[in-house]
Amino acid sequence: MKLSFDTEVEEFRAEFAAFLDANLPTEAEAAERSRSTAHLPEWARRWQRLQFDEGWLLPGNPPEFGGRNAGVIQQFVHREELSRRRICHSFNPQGVGIIAASLLSFGTEEQKHRWAVPILRAELTAALGMSEPGAGSDLASLRTRAELDGDHFTVNGQKVWTSGAHDADVLLTFVRTDPDAPKHKGISVLIVPTDTPGVTRRPFASYTGPDHKDFNEVFFENVRVPAENLVGPLNQGWRVANGSLGHERTLMWLGEAERLEAAVRDFRPTNALDKDWYATLVMDLQALRLLGSAALARAARGEQDVPALSVLKVFGSEAAQQALEHVLDAAGADGLDHPAPTAPYHHMAFDDDSASWFHRYARSFGGTIAGGTSEIQRTIIAERVLGLPRR
Amino acid sequence: MLFEFDAEQRLWQDTVHKAVLKECPPTLVRAVADAGADPSPLWRVYADLGWTELTDPADAVELAIVLEELGRATDPTPYLATLTQFGPLAPGYADPDQSGAAVHTGITATPEGDGWVLDGTARHVLDGDRADLLAVVTDAGVFVVPASEATAVRTPAFDPVLHLADVTLAQVRVGAGARTAADPERARHIALTGMALTMVGACRRALDLVLDHVRTRHQFDAPIGSFQAVQHKAADMHVALERARALAYFAALTVAEDDPRRRIAASMAKASAGECQSVVFRNAVQLFGAMGHTWENDLQFAVKRAKAGELMLGGAAEHRALITEAQLAGEVS
Repeated sequence: MKLSFDTEVEEFRAEFAAFLDANLPTEAEAAERSRSTAHLPEWARRWQRLQFDEGWLLPGNPPEFGGRNAGVIQQFVHREELSRRRICHSFNPQGVGIIAASLLSFGTEEQKHRWAVPILRAELTAALGMSEPGAGSDLASLRTRAELDGDHFTVNGQKVWTSGAHDADVLLTFVRTDPDAPKHKGISVLIVPTDTPGVTRRPFASYTGPDHKDFNEVFFENVRVPAENLVGPLNQGWRVANGSLGHERTLMWLGEAERLEAAVRDFRPTNALDKDWYATLVMDLQALRLLGSAALARAARGEQDVPALSVLKVFGSEAAQQALEHVLDAAGADGLDHPAPTAPYHHMAFDDDSASWFHRYARSFGGTIAGGTSEIQRTIIAERVLGLPRR
Repeated sequence: MLFEFDAEQRLWQDTVHKAVLKECPPTLVRAVADAGADPSPLWRVYADLGWTELTDPADAVELAIVLEELGRATDPTPYLATLTQFGPLAPGYADPDQSGAAVHTGITATPEGDGWVLDGTARHVLDGDRADLLAVVTDAGVFVVPASEATAVRTPAFDPVLHLADVTLAQVRVGAGARTAADPERARHIALTGMALTMVGACRRALDLVLDHVRTRHQFDAPIGSFQAVQHKAADMHVALERARALAYFAALTVAEDDPRRRIAASMAKASAGECQSVVFRNAVQLFGAMGHTWENDLQFAVKRAKAGELMLGGAAEHRALITEAQLAGEVS
């Protein structure tokens, strides 16, 4: 247990900081804003490609995949440095963090170079097709059907909540390939280019505003997908799903820590009650950093303790949500303004981070719902961390 | 920062845990509470194990591990008061065989000749009735006096294993040599951290007992621990505990490394332990149902120790005020 990092880790940090200082796009260059989580303006593509080429996009990867074989501690410091400066390393976060990562874990060599590298280099953008109208928390009950017919699959069905799909070039799509097998054992994963005939995408607005469109419904009607687009073995898609969500989890708490840190920074309490909960916010942020770094240390030793990450998920997302609700309430009538800036604009951050207090609070439910609801996380903690019996 | 026990610390934790299970089992705590059994042999065991020598700041994390385990066991000895309240106020008085208590308020020091006269009464002094030495905090500094020079009367508390006393010093004359070079502010941080760790240990014990109960108690033909309403309460207790535990060890680490964040860290440890005991006490007693209300159930020792901790050295709300003040003043955290 120690409070500081070794010299070599700090040297790594300094090297990355120097890269950022020398290469960060200017505010003028970044004037065109990203409109969804799979929309990359030209400057954002150049920025991501530069990080890839210099080995700073995902430092833990080998150089051919945008990294420099850095250890977990270095990856943490890399994220810490980005977060401290409010810099987004990719404006297609699911493409880089989940889809490319899944392809690198489960894909063939050809798939890695055909799909993962272009996603990492921002030549393609990607969205994740998991949830369906009837398959949310119970993801394994998904019904989008893919039938293998010689050299291709025929896909029929519907996805929903597919963030950024309308701007994505490809969808990592979870499909049912064996309807007779137990539900976890009949799922496969396909890469589906969105320009394939029969794919229809319909973006729809979130409750923060009619123009805030990131969610999509995606319909598949007799969509022909080449068999070579199968990711991982046939009917082994559940393993890929767990792997996909597992990729980001060790570092996912950092996003909530960033939200908490932003709340600490962007809000100043004045009355006694606000000062009281402000202390809780300060404690939550510190505790999340401590617990997160402990999870990281375990990962650095090669331990995969996925259920323990549920503690970080439920704690971080609910702490951020409570903080943002308090901030909104404390704003009083000024909190009614929407849209409204609530933090200094930063051109390298998502615009959501400086949106109205209502927007920031409303968006916090992404943290408590997406990627496994708080209710699911609590059940995982009870059954898999605390060893309580299953129903 | 990398916040995890190293291999040596994990080994130490395991060693301490096993020793506490063996030397301070629930039956002993029960005997102290119900039959007035004398815990002093246990104190001597701790001394033999070397635990009363963990007074060097560099040992703060090792001490923290002992304190958490002793909190879990509802330690009936004056270990907490000696190591985290008396010790830091009385550098140079460390004696592995002697216990000590800290008197924080209520005593005045009036100069007389080349010494002082200590006078007054302090209430709710932890282990004030059974310590060998007292560290007395006054406006004129910290003085160490033998307990034999004070009058101490134990006052009953809801925690039946806890020793609290009214301590009176009636015109006690002390020489210049009795004044210590202690930094009372630093001592306060260590005391807060120690109390927080004790509370975390007590909460952990309460959760352990609850988990055992809901795994084995059947209603509606199922273990009640399979019901989601029960599971989610247990999960909330675990999350609150993880949060408080992380902040308590962080505070211990700032003591070990004499880090400037020590002040805010100590308040975060105490405040989060207080918030944790609130969640744990409420849910633990609730999940035990009527059985949690009985004297014969050991749950009482754990939740009472945790709640008693909240009521000593300033509660969660008081420390939250200090945290906000420090944060807004730009102190790093």
